[in-house]
Amino acid sequence: MNLTIGYLYADLMNIYGDTGNIIALKKRAEWRGIKVKVVNISSGDRIPTSDVGTRIDLYFFGGGQDQQQELVSKDLVKSGKGKIIKKEVERGVPLLSICGGYQLLGEYYKPHKGPKLAGVGLFPAYTLASHERMIGNIVIDSMFGNLVGFENHSGKTYLKKGALPFGMVCRGFGNNGADKGEGCIYKNAVGCYMHGSLLPKNPKLADWLIKKALEVKYGKAIELKPLDNSLEFQAHHKAIQKIK
Amino acid sequence: MSELFAILLGKAIFSLTRFFKIGGGSAAPGLFALRIDPELVEGLIRHIPQNIIITGTNGKTTTARMIAHFAKTSGLTVIRNQTGSNLERGIASTLINYAPSRGLAKLNYDLGIWELDEAAFNSVAPKIKPAVVVFLNVFRDQLDRYGEVDTVVKKWSETLKKLPKETIVLVNGDDANTAGLAKFPKGKVQKFGVKDYKIIGESIEHKKEKENLDFEAKNVKLRGLNGSAFQLLTTNYPLREASQLPTTLPLPGIYHIYDFLAAFAVGKTLGFDSKRMISSFKDFSPAFGRVEKLDFGYIFLIKNPAGATQVFETIAPQLRSNDRLLLALNDNLADGTDVSWIWDAGFERLQVTSNKLQVICSGTRAYDLANRLKYAGFNPDNIIVEPDLKKAFGQAKKGLKGCLFILPTYTAMLKLQSILAKTGIKKNYWEEE
Repeated sequence: MNLTIGYLYADLMNIYGDTGNIIALKKRAEWRGIKVKVVNISSGDRIPTSDVGTRIDLYFFGGGQDQQQELVSKDLVKSGKGKIIKKEVERGVPLLSICGGYQLLGEYYKPHKGPKLAGVGLFPAYTLASHERMIGNIVIDSMFGNLVGFENHSGKTYLKKGALPFGMVCRGFGNNGADKGEGCIYKNAVGCYMHGSLLPKNPKLADWLIKKALEVKYGKAIELKPLDNSLEFQAHHKAIQKIK
Repeated sequence: MSELFAILLGKAIFSLTRFFKIGGGSAAPGLFALRIDPELVEGLIRHIPQNIIITGTNGKTTTARMIAHFAKTSGLTVIRNQTGSNLERGIASTLINYAPSRGLAKLNYDLGIWELDEAAFNSVAPKIKPAVVVFLNVFRDQLDRYGEVDTVVKKWSETLKKLPKETIVLVNGDDANTAGLAKFPKGKVQKFGVKDYKIIGESIEHKKEKENLDFEAKNVKLRGLNGSAFQLLTTNYPLREASQLPTTLPLPGIYHIYDFLAAFAVGKTLGFDSKRMISSFKDFSPAFGRVEKLDFGYIFLIKNPAGATQVFETIAPQLRSNDRLLLALNDNLADGTDVSWIWDAGFERLQVTSNKLQVICSGTRAYDLANRLKYAGFNPDNIIVEPDLKKAFGQAKKGLKGCLFILPTYTAMLKLQSILAKTGIKKNYWEEE
């Protein structure tokens, strides 16, 4: 089997250690004998969709600096990449987006000054700039059990009616620091504020993304070969212990 | 009178911290004294005829130490915040410590050398009215404290506009972010850099067109852990001296060449003799913990992706299979509470031919580190996790046949210094020169 990971705007949205998620996906697939290709998709690039052989099976979208985020927001809409990503997610293709990436996949981002930045509209959510920096370790309760990471954002994200939060905050701020929700999940697409990096310490989520990607790609149920996760779980538990 | 009271209070705190050995007293005295007299730094520092400020993400302490070395060689007396406490309180603490306690007698030093962190620079630099300001580089570092690189650079450019026309500004010409600062100061700007070398990290698109570097290292030859050799070109000081000077640097890694160039450039603006500066390196030893040679190995400070990756690149070719690595990751405030950065640092580069290399992971986030190494390709069977640094150090030393490379983050490095002092391996860091 093989797996193609699309790293969205790897050159512009990569400052909070989120690359660790790509490393985790790649290694965890390779340890199971699955061949992995990581394709960087940036401004000016096109998303290959027509040919099944070059299709992206799993998307990752990280956080970036404000200036870069503005560039990326424009490119997503103008180049039509946003629309393609949305269509692919409807087809079941899994996606993980963190922080800035998550915000841009919502309906819009409203900065302090100036007009709203249009989002992709994948997640039924919108983000408002705030003067509060929500920063620190975060633990949430999700369908994958407890997940642990580090958040650092001032944008406050609000989910619209019917939207599902990715998890509920046990420690930290989450989407907006008020409603206890963190992130959003739509089909197999996840958006959240959790750096850390998220996947290396939360291997269940990493494996779920890989499994979903392969199931959509090969059109059948997939059971992933189990791996020795003792170091991952120790990192996971020790981090939670430290925070709680 | 509040100035005098602030000084006396600060001095009292100094004696207490030293007496109880809670630390070098590098921050607390200044912190409390500044509450009594917020203008303490301006007040005291104007007695020092010339002040130098060094800022940037990596290399501040080493550069400051080099400048101090050159200055002392040239017969000047120097005052500086040498323990690396690089906020205003650190400067205040130093000034208090060295201020005469009898009445309002003046501080009697020729040169002040002050390292300031990326954020403190903006609030403190205008108060100091420096003769020279040095911008070493800017990398992503502790986003929880400093914010994003763009923000750091923007604030610097605003502060530069406020500095007097007499201030000479020295910038790293190979780092697009610091090179770009050249257009903001009112006064003279000079650039330093290495020929045909690009800074890896934030400045992705920096192409070296025929950039005019005032201080340039050419024909660089890296000599592993022993240092490097290169030709030093000083374009704007060709008179009276040879314009190419062969230089040997006893510090490993290309990043130290930048520190040297910055220090040398400062030396030139102060009128020091080039050859004397270069030859004085014979008896230069780097600051504690940055790169430190011990009988049984080395300490290299790691604190952000760019700096850590440079350290890995420097030591990787030297690693033998009977060597050991002791890595220590803390997530205290001074380290940055977000440990995500380890995923941007190239730990893969340490994964050299020898698969047997023993690694001990320590610090408050030891498990995060061990997990990072697993994903960098290390065999988990060769990784020992021991969060307690003292025990980890003991384990790393026990039965050691090769060399021990210790790579701690900032607060782990301070802790390590005290462990080394207690075990009699070396002096307390605040007693070092």
